[in-house]
Amino acid sequence: MVMELEYDRSLYGKEHLAGPFDVTTELIQAFTASLSETNPVFIDEAAALAAGYKGLLAPPTFCTVFVSRVKLPDINLDFGKMQVHAGQRVQPRGDIVAGDQVTASSHLKDVYPKTGRSGTMVFVVWETTFRNQHGEVVADVQESFAVKE
Amino acid sequence: MYLDMHSHSVSSDDSRATVEQYLKWIQVLRKRGNTVDGIVLTEHRKFDAHLDYSSLAEQYNVLVLKGSELDTRFGHFLVYGVTEPLTKELDFADVRMDARELMKAASHHGAFALPAHPGRFGIGLVDYMEQGESFPDVGIVELLNGGSRQGENERASDLCSQHGYLGTGGSDAHLTSHIGTCLTNFEATIVTEQDLVEALHSGQFKPVWLQDTQKGAST
Repeated sequence: MVMELEYDRSLYGKEHLAGPFDVTTELIQAFTASLSETNPVFIDEAAALAAGYKGLLAPPTFCTVFVSRVKLPDINLDFGKMQVHAGQRVQPRGDIVAGDQVTASSHLKDVYPKTGRSGTMVFVVWETTFRNQHGEVVADVQESFAVKE
Repeated sequence: MYLDMHSHSVSSDDSRATVEQYLKWIQVLRKRGNTVDGIVLTEHRKFDAHLDYSSLAEQYNVLVLKGSELDTRFGHFLVYGVTEPLTKELDFADVRMDARELMKAASHHGAFALPAHPGRFGIGLVDYMEQGESFPDVGIVELLNGGSRQGENERASDLCSQHGYLGTGGSDAHLTSHIGTCLTNFEATIVTEQDLVEALHSGQFKPVWLQDTQKGAST
């Protein structure tokens, strides 16, 4: 009795684009403050330049700011009633500095069931690749959502 | 020898610990006077046939074996001695598989399947047995699970007492510092997954807490 999940499988292989998003000094500084990060390269442009960066550097998980602005399509999963955010994994791939523009490209990575103390859940995993204005990949963000029975 | 029979590396979707981090932490445990000879990676709903940890195992002098933890209609089951024919016969990702069929298929292909954390509320074998299900092929269960909440290992212990089951121990580690919290003390020397299956069939083992592996501890 295999558990067959019903959802829109045609979404596999499709990229969903968002952006461009402006990387501003104010946004980097606000994000840095939210982390209580004190490294000057994330706070002061002169310190970042002195350290060899091209401008005020964004912290490694900075792209999570833009993930929430990416509109993902409904996969029309025929399961459960409640969806909760189940986590993010960020893999920094390159520097992001103030003045950059980044774009996002998201695709459905996986949909799978699992069981635990709270019953059966289905996990929906999206992967978003961020590129800067030069087309260079600067981060991959994997985001999971858990749908509960 | 002492083996942690239940652990998850980054290969599982809910673990953040790498195998090397586990092996490094075991060096710390050893410096504290504990004995941890090896671990079994029991990744969720999969078997990593392609992954080879032999270099890491040699580097850190820790036996690293591979198994699986499968979701079934009757709770999670640990599978040791997984073979390619077994992975072809069963869909390891199927969370609705019948645990009884899993046990039979495992046995048929030279592997061994046993219930993980049977005392776990809501998903352990104890709950399903209380609902009237029977599992005639069960003879060994995971008695000590390092991820258990209060009362769950005790339920597993009661289950063993009532049915004469033997028990194993495993940390169920998903984080580095959890590795080795529970182990199984085997009489036999185990080198391969097949040795492990034979050792389970022998019945010559018992579950222990990490502190029981200290020199001079009465286990």
